[in-house]
Amino acid sequence: MKLWNVLFRRKRDQGSSQQRKAVKQDGRSGKAVSRDLEEGLSKDVDENLRTIVAELGGSDDLTIRKIDAAGTDSVVVAFIYIDNLVDSAMVNQMLLHPLMSEIGESRSGKSSEEWYRTVRDRVLAVGRVHEMRTPEEALACILEGQTIVFLQGSAAALAADTSGGDKRAVEEPGSQTVIRGPKESFTESIKTNLSLIRRRIKSPRLRVERKTLGKLTQTQIALVYLQGIAKASIVEEVRRRIDRIDTDSILESAYIEEFIQDAPITPFPTIENTERPDAAAAGILEGQIAIIVDGTPFALLAPVSFVRFFQSSEDFYQRYDIATFLRLIRYVAFFVSMLLPAMFIAITTFHQEMLPTPLLISLAAQREGVPFPAIVEALLMEITFEVLREAGVRMPKVIGPAISIVGALVLGQSAVQAGLISAAIVIVVSFTAIASFVIPAINMSIAARLIRFVMMILGGTLGLFGIMSGLMVLLIHLASLRSFGVPYLTPLAPFVWTNWKDTFVRMPHWVMKKRPPTIADGSNLVRQGDDQMPKPPGRKSKF
Amino acid sequence: MEAAAVEGPGGLFRMFGGLRRAGGKLNGRGRGMVCHVTGNSKVKLPLPRLPMERISQSQLAAMIVLFQIGSSPLFLLASDAGADAWISVLIGMIGGLLLLLLVTLQLYRRMPEEDLFDMIERSFGKVAGSLLTAVYIVYFGYKAVRNVREFGDLMILYLLPSTPLWFILLILMVIAAYAVFQGIEVFSRVAQILLPMIVFVYIALFVALWGTELFDAHRLMPVLDSGLKKPIESALPELISFPFGEMVLFLLFWKYADRRGGTTRTTVLSYLFSGTFIVVTTIFILGSLGPLAEFSVVPLIQIVSLVQTADFIQRLDPVVALLLFGGVFMKMTFYYLGTTLLFSRLFRIGRYAALFPVGALLFAGSMAFRSYMQHIWFGFEKNLKYHFPIFQIVIPVLLLLAAMIRSRFEKNGRTPS
Repeated sequence: MKLWNVLFRRKRDQGSSQQRKAVKQDGRSGKAVSRDLEEGLSKDVDENLRTIVAELGGSDDLTIRKIDAAGTDSVVVAFIYIDNLVDSAMVNQMLLHPLMSEIGESRSGKSSEEWYRTVRDRVLAVGRVHEMRTPEEALACILEGQTIVFLQGSAAALAADTSGGDKRAVEEPGSQTVIRGPKESFTESIKTNLSLIRRRIKSPRLRVERKTLGKLTQTQIALVYLQGIAKASIVEEVRRRIDRIDTDSILESAYIEEFIQDAPITPFPTIENTERPDAAAAGILEGQIAIIVDGTPFALLAPVSFVRFFQSSEDFYQRYDIATFLRLIRYVAFFVSMLLPAMFIAITTFHQEMLPTPLLISLAAQREGVPFPAIVEALLMEITFEVLREAGVRMPKVIGPAISIVGALVLGQSAVQAGLISAAIVIVVSFTAIASFVIPAINMSIAARLIRFVMMILGGTLGLFGIMSGLMVLLIHLASLRSFGVPYLTPLAPFVWTNWKDTFVRMPHWVMKKRPPTIADGSNLVRQGDDQMPKPPGRKSKF
Repeated sequence: MEAAAVEGPGGLFRMFGGLRRAGGKLNGRGRGMVCHVTGNSKVKLPLPRLPMERISQSQLAAMIVLFQIGSSPLFLLASDAGADAWISVLIGMIGGLLLLLLVTLQLYRRMPEEDLFDMIERSFGKVAGSLLTAVYIVYFGYKAVRNVREFGDLMILYLLPSTPLWFILLILMVIAAYAVFQGIEVFSRVAQILLPMIVFVYIALFVALWGTELFDAHRLMPVLDSGLKKPIESALPELISFPFGEMVLFLLFWKYADRRGGTTRTTVLSYLFSGTFIVVTTIFILGSLGPLAEFSVVPLIQIVSLVQTADFIQRLDPVVALLLFGGVFMKMTFYYLGTTLLFSRLFRIGRYAALFPVGALLFAGSMAFRSYMQHIWFGFEKNLKYHFPIFQIVIPVLLLLAAMIRSRFEKNGRTPS
């Protein structure tokens, strides 16, 4: 990875000649491949082809197309690519066709050097063509879906970007649905995903830094951020952490998330993930850095604070009053989903005096004949529900109705009628379950789900004192977390007033004049002009 | 965008330069390495050094308020003064303010970079200084022990009558140790979040007392029935010792404050806020319970159990008890943290290493009291009058005098001995 960085900076600063030298100087690059790959390409096409075929072990999906000069047997041009990675129509139309028609006329009488330049500059009808000097480079390009063109007599090859192949179309997001708002979702293709973001932020300051991770998977990832809005120190930190990753495979953004997150031991997510390009764009516009990974529709966003997980992108597409209301509901739902069963157990076991007498009597009557103590009853129901939920996710879709009948009727109604559990606990567990689906970020609701079990045990053994102790530990833990240097509980602690406009309430867009100073670069915070409140004519602005 | 546009051709050029660079990154356009050849390069990058822990002024304020409120509303302070107890509290608060302004804060202002350990060592030398630090460790530790025990006993009294005391104390110590382990920065954030909640509960409680007409101002009458002498007598020195003089602990924490200039102001304002708060609490206790207040173990909880709003909310006392005890927990953790910091300085070990011996000592100490009543009696009868003023007033004054003499010497061009 460092190699790539070195290359990259060199390229920016001093151009390509320096950069090729860098390849030679950096001895590390050779470790993965055999020694002769690092040496330059041969002038002989056949020899080059042999090297590459040997390196790929003669895989059958490697396609080689050789073109002879008119009337001779000697190969003058050869194409090499991997079958299913390239767009074959493109190879045929843009490379094969022009080259074959040129070959007769323009080659005659030219030196191989001139011929090479003609092909490079005029013949290949593909947007991106680059020179290859070593088999190693060529190999990497082939594996990325490019087509390599070898020309007889020149020690450089040309790589044309013809990558294509099957990919999924942009569809509606499956995990973060909205009623109003864009219905696009990221796909598995990094190119599509980058275009979805660029189409939303048409600023020249949008930066895309590409890296390749995973020694075997060679997965492409891209850091996307806005220059001057994302804090430079945080960008550097993200880069540093990603460069540290040394693994053989990256198949999903979660792999990266686990390698770069701040706190490895915590139930709380310290990196946000989203399937929605509009959510990613909104994050980037506030100074977050998006990490897009090829092969998954889930992009990562960092840094992130606790309250961010309670925002849905729809908050910003709906009126601010209802958005605020819904946001508050989500916080309530989070606490319900974390604490309700525990509170129920604690109060019915230890602090019955808190309940009004009629309610107490009704609860006691229900529990008459139930063989388990409240904690066992609640744990049983919770585990049952977790099993149901997992079954719902994993089972084939066709048997869905069967599971719901078994779940709802057998486990709910019949269990109560049989006197195994009380009706109250069914209500508590069901409400808890529904509440846990309200939190827009699935990874935060998972945190609440895990903590719920700990809280239930605490509430069942030590009552309210246990729950309070648990909450205290949780609070200390949350206060100790950071996400890329940003304290996790901002803007609550440390207190940041600017962020409060978009924390528990969602103020109108014209009030949120500044970007959150905790994430965005401090020198460039203003996002809109003063006095943006709408002032329709015919109405006095002051009354 | 704007920046590029206003800078004229240069800016425009840069803009396109930026575009090209971004494009280069994205597409690998141009010559050279395009497809990324990754070797298995394992790069070891140095971790950035952690800066010293810092707390903001608002966090400092939250800490001071929580620390001052702490456990004080649990007791009826200056109960000897009867209906005039709140006047005693007011007098105590003013006395405490004078102490804070003239001594404790002066010490800090003279040596803002130093904590109590450095101050003592500078003024009393290595040997005597170490001894004195050790004594301070005992004092802070003892204060922590008192709070731990208070918490445990009240918990058993109100919430968990059949749970063994040691178990509750153990859990409490473990949570506090976790907080101390995370350090002052994290703990100050915890304070910042808890403060609004605790204050909100108190205010809701006062409103409920007012609304349900439990509070009756006549119970405070007649004001100063037996003259000013009695309130003053019961205020000094007890009320300076608890809770107002306890600010001496912040000699350990002030140095972490961000934006130094505001520290004095923040401290005094938050002190005034919490002082007023305690006075108001005392007024409410007296006005709601009257003479009964003296005989109640925790008057405030007794009041809560009298509050009945609507038919549904009948007994909120477990919830309120928990929040009140939240204050006790915070105060105890402040002392635990202070003890640990001082301990680690004295024995020149890290905070993490000091955490466990100190915690074990506090736990053992809190089990040593025979009963809650012995603990309260010992605290109110002996400690407040004879022991605590030494640490809160006498030694700080000595330190200040030493500092003043030192600076006098320095002004005269001589080196201090």
